[in-house]
Amino acid sequence: MSLEQYKGDMEMCCRCSTCKFIPMQKIQGSDFSYVCPSIAKYNFHAYSAGGRMNIGAAALKNGMNYTPKLLDVVYNCQMCGACGVSCNYAMDMEVLEPISEFRMKCIEDGKTNPALDKVIAGLKKTGSMVPVKGKRGAWATGLKLKDATKVKVDVLYHVGCLSSYDPEMQKLAKSIARILQKAGVNFGILGDAEMCCGGRAYQMGYKDAFLAQAKKTMAQIKKAGVKTLVTGCADGYQTFKVLYDRFNLKGGLEVLHITEYIDRLIKEGKLKPKKKVEMNVTYHDPCRLGRLGEPWIHWEGKKIPGDRFVFDPPKEYRRGTKGIYQPPRDVIKSIPGVKLTEMTRIMEYSWCCGAGGGVNESNPDFAVWTAQKRIEEAVSTGAEALVSACPWCEKTLNEAIKASGSSLKVYDIVELVERAI
Amino acid sequence: MPLTKEQYKAFEDVVGAENITDDKAIMPAYYNTDFAAIILPKDTAEVQACIKLCNKFKRQFRPICTGWSGMFPKDLILLDLRRLNKISENNEQNMYAVVEPYVISAELQAELMKRGFNFCIKGAGTNCSAMLRGHGHLDQTTSGDDRNHLAIEWVTPEGEIVKSGALGSADEWFCGDGPGPSIRAILTSAVPPGVTPGVFTKAAVKLYHWPGPAAYPIQGHSPKYTLKEIPANMMARYYSFPSVEKMWNAEIKLGENEICYELMGFNAAMVACNITTCNEEEEGVFAKMNKEVQGPGFFVIIAGNSREDFEFKKKVLEQIVKDNDGISLKTVEDPEIEGILLCQCTRISASIRETFRAGGAFNSIPIMGQRDLTIKWAIGAGKAKEPLIEKGLIVDDGGAFFGWGVEQGHLGKTEIFCKFDPQNPVAKKAVETWQKEQTERAFKESYFASTMGSQDEVGPALGNYHLWWQKIIKAIDPNGVSPEGGALV
Repeated sequence: MSLEQYKGDMEMCCRCSTCKFIPMQKIQGSDFSYVCPSIAKYNFHAYSAGGRMNIGAAALKNGMNYTPKLLDVVYNCQMCGACGVSCNYAMDMEVLEPISEFRMKCIEDGKTNPALDKVIAGLKKTGSMVPVKGKRGAWATGLKLKDATKVKVDVLYHVGCLSSYDPEMQKLAKSIARILQKAGVNFGILGDAEMCCGGRAYQMGYKDAFLAQAKKTMAQIKKAGVKTLVTGCADGYQTFKVLYDRFNLKGGLEVLHITEYIDRLIKEGKLKPKKKVEMNVTYHDPCRLGRLGEPWIHWEGKKIPGDRFVFDPPKEYRRGTKGIYQPPRDVIKSIPGVKLTEMTRIMEYSWCCGAGGGVNESNPDFAVWTAQKRIEEAVSTGAEALVSACPWCEKTLNEAIKASGSSLKVYDIVELVERAI
Repeated sequence: MPLTKEQYKAFEDVVGAENITDDKAIMPAYYNTDFAAIILPKDTAEVQACIKLCNKFKRQFRPICTGWSGMFPKDLILLDLRRLNKISENNEQNMYAVVEPYVISAELQAELMKRGFNFCIKGAGTNCSAMLRGHGHLDQTTSGDDRNHLAIEWVTPEGEIVKSGALGSADEWFCGDGPGPSIRAILTSAVPPGVTPGVFTKAAVKLYHWPGPAAYPIQGHSPKYTLKEIPANMMARYYSFPSVEKMWNAEIKLGENEICYELMGFNAAMVACNITTCNEEEEGVFAKMNKEVQGPGFFVIIAGNSREDFEFKKKVLEQIVKDNDGISLKTVEDPEIEGILLCQCTRISASIRETFRAGGAFNSIPIMGQRDLTIKWAIGAGKAKEPLIEKGLIVDDGGAFFGWGVEQGHLGKTEIFCKFDPQNPVAKKAVETWQKEQTERAFKESYFASTMGSQDEVGPALGNYHLWWQKIIKAIDPNGVSPEGGALV
């Protein structure tokens, strides 16, 4: 794809500003009505999806006009896709895709962000999106997990970069491994051989780096001969399930997020959360498990000339409708003693944790600001803990808690499940 | 001409470096023009300071709020009011709310519903400013236009702060005209060419009783939100009639009996827009509904304050519809569809489906006045759309118009528009021609005088208002810094 292919979509933007807010019917007052972190923080219309679309349309007409302010706009976006959900309640047009293409065009033209360049250089060198400290599979020491490069397993647990290398996030990898062991699943890991899925490179706009990494990773998975891949990372989930499918890399691989898999294991009676975990919690939908986790829809067609923006064959838009929303909630509800209270911005119109689109690396202050807004919302529910399903979310939300001094706790669902079984 | 370094610094000193830009690369986000600068003031004081600088430097400015794409001349200073986004007061006792320009209607309405109130949301949609002047779906009970602006805080083109009504009073008494001589006509003149210059920074909007729930019980995912159940004592229906005369008579009777919370003269095409989630589905549903209706019609919401009140209103409604040979559209009787319409048409959350979704643009001719008269004109305007529909230049909506009763029908709004692809120059030209011809016909055939028409022609028929307006503008904007002002959407 290219920016040119989204010309019609960008020209459809009527600058109505709905992309700034959660879907209108869901607005419950003046608090927590915004859905786009970028416009909520930076205020100039250029930072909203509508502004980005209009800039994109102008660029196609008049050429790219690179300035520091334009690049500030481009890189201060989490690519969370919430704008598209709100827009697509009423409009038939792509929103996140042209915004993503615009960033890719910047990178093609060499207008990159130094912090992101550094991350991508690291990916190319080490096969990891985060700094490599020690061996990738070291977290699993003592757990007696199967090595999927050596033995045939039914399920491959793809751990992901953050849970592999970040000492504070390795606990999630361990929890998942123990849960799967407890359920008697024949699973394995790739250990030191595991590589990054590449998804965060794609979010950052480095499409070539993503594709190069994705091909290597998928070759390794194919070699392992597994039919089912489980990931505890929402970014990894979206990458394997959606992006690999989009670029015809996925084949017949079944991709499940750990919350989907645990939900399945509970419903099949293979996992039984029995121990009470007395806790009032609220749940944060990770963007890439929720709205961006819905399946890719392969489509090629042309606009039918005439009055309407319709296509031959008809185009089905990804509006966030089919994201993974219920399984994590069902898992939480299955834990005795846990009381779930919902926030205002949930499911397809969930507020981002702030970590996506490279913002975590290029502008950590903005990432933490975004997470702080989520903490405020979680606190407003009266919950004592914010539960999520992605290590990137947990890390960023915890950084916001440190910065704000909030007493709220942050957990991944797997931590609660492990306590309950 | 760009701002000089000194001028830029002066504005920057007011709003801070992060709230001003003259970077050309991001200006297309607002409009494809070279603004002298885009400035984000945070409050009335900063707006005032900016306007005073505009006068000092003889620089023209315009405010902008949530949207849409407007027409902006080069070298203008754009005051983006996004940071003025607070609800200052919800005065339940005196039934008004004070809002800043960037409070959108959805935010204010949600706060009000919790308290048993509602307000007039304009047809442009709930994504627009709650301060916006105009008309909308709720006009039957909430009226529209300047009836609902009880007070306004206005920074004049010279930078003076004028407060009317409650905002200008020392106590809680309020009135849209006071204190002192009424300036309501100037403050609320939002129709071209009389768009009030300066910047409106606050408004007290009138509140109305809301008999519905504190929040709708919404389920499902976007783009198809439905209601878990129809709220108690509420009902939505669409009725079609064998003739315009019968429909109009039913409208009048319903108004006289004051039983409708909402009476929206949707045509079938607009109902189809509301209840469908994409363009393809809309085409199919419209074709089906077009066969289902017997003629022109309207959409009605009944909302009772008690079971008895609801039953009474329902009975009166059914009788009036029966007396005028109306039939209820089965599609809308389906509780799922009824729920979608109840929620959307009170929260005004599907205006974009009605207008922009199909082709990306629409041109409209809106008219206030006696519905029976304006409908007669609109029938002709609809006929004039037919060749454009046949050529595939505009969306096929059956050539229909729409409209609604205001204040239980003693006034009314009628509107007709063409939806088209703005990237198609032939379609754009054809729609502009249709708009011009139908506006001129309305004047020549004595239906109404649209201020969208030629001022030299229309002005003399309206007491030379345009000449008076020019004199007023000269008096309040002596430096000519505010070419167009307070229009807020």
